[in-house]
Amino acid sequence: MGDKGMQKIDPLDHQQRLDRITEIFAGMVTHADEQAAYRCPYRDRFDQCTAKFRCTNQAKTAVEGAVKGAVKGAVKGAVKGAVKGAVEGELPGCEHDGRFDYRSAWESDPQSYDRAKAKIEQIHSNASRLRA
Amino acid sequence: MAELTDIQNEDIRYEIEEYLERDEEIERNIELFARVSPGMQDLAAALIEGDNGAVDQMTRDALEKGIEATEIMDDGLIAGMGIVGIKFRENFIFVPEVLACARAMKAGMTHIEPILSASGVKPVGKVIMGTVKGDLHDIGKNLCAMMLRGSGFEVIDLGVDTSPDDFIDAVEEHGANLLGMSALLTTTMPNMAKTVEAFIDADLRDEVQIMVGGAPVTQEFADDMGADGYGKDALACVSLAKELIGAKA
Repeated sequence: MGDKGMQKIDPLDHQQRLDRITEIFAGMVTHADEQAAYRCPYRDRFDQCTAKFRCTNQAKTAVEGAVKGAVKGAVKGAVKGAVKGAVEGELPGCEHDGRFDYRSAWESDPQSYDRAKAKIEQIHSNASRLRA
Repeated sequence: MAELTDIQNEDIRYEIEEYLERDEEIERNIELFARVSPGMQDLAAALIEGDNGAVDQMTRDALEKGIEATEIMDDGLIAGMGIVGIKFRENFIFVPEVLACARAMKAGMTHIEPILSASGVKPVGKVIMGTVKGDLHDIGKNLCAMMLRGSGFEVIDLGVDTSPDDFIDAVEEHGANLLGMSALLTTTMPNMAKTVEAFIDADLRDEVQIMVGGAPVTQEFADDMGADGYGKDALACVSLAKELIGAKA
């Protein structure tokens, strides 16, 4: 590949470069956290959902979007969902009004934490028993 | 003093005109891109667009032409990412677009890494990353991967729904000294413990430092699962990764 084998990069200069990249990325990560308070991070600039999982706010097709909007009891929602579904095709539209803290979606009830804790203990105990 | 018209690439001119609002950032970017070669302007524009195929091709072509790797990084990739950061801060783009740009940057860096390596610039460490089995959430993990790469780590991202066997295979294949697992659900979080146990069964637990993260995960859970560390966000993930491998934080 050309004379790239001849190229040399000064490690100290490169560290400064990494510091600059880190500065840019750290700003992004901080902003992403702040933004999660009012916008789902899977929602792109075209208000499409990029998540690989199903979400109740997704409207995949014109019909689906229209039905969802209608079910919500808002004619505006039905029309919006239909237009989005028809125009965008591949990615489902996000139908959420944006007024929620995305981060709270993961704050499950204390019982689910207890169940997770019990499950973890069980996994360790089963593994120890099998090894013995 | 450079003018906007001194920038040859139309897309870059548009980005500056349309999305930059602070005077000092407009001035700085006009000065920067006005002195940058047209080829590097094109590369930056492709990165801002999140077009990883174009960034991949342009970086290869630039190296073929003998353009210095440092020029490609500074004037193409990092310059472009600077604009992406501003657009994100001002809410013109969102997390999915930022991650697309980060993927584009990685596509370019893939061709730069052999040159870095030949120059004695080694990765800080090698990290296997993945969301655990049964979990399809990947934003947090992707932000961690982006931050780690930006900090000089080599990251092998296994994506979502990653089984313990896949984690083990990847650690063995790549000789990684770090493993990062993410879970976003209390129901999938126990699969981190399963993976830790699988590493013990495979006699590989001492070969790799395991860090965990994700919204429901806490330090207490990390301890329960037998992980070596817990990072509450992408910034903490980088500090933890450096700490675990004994690098300068």
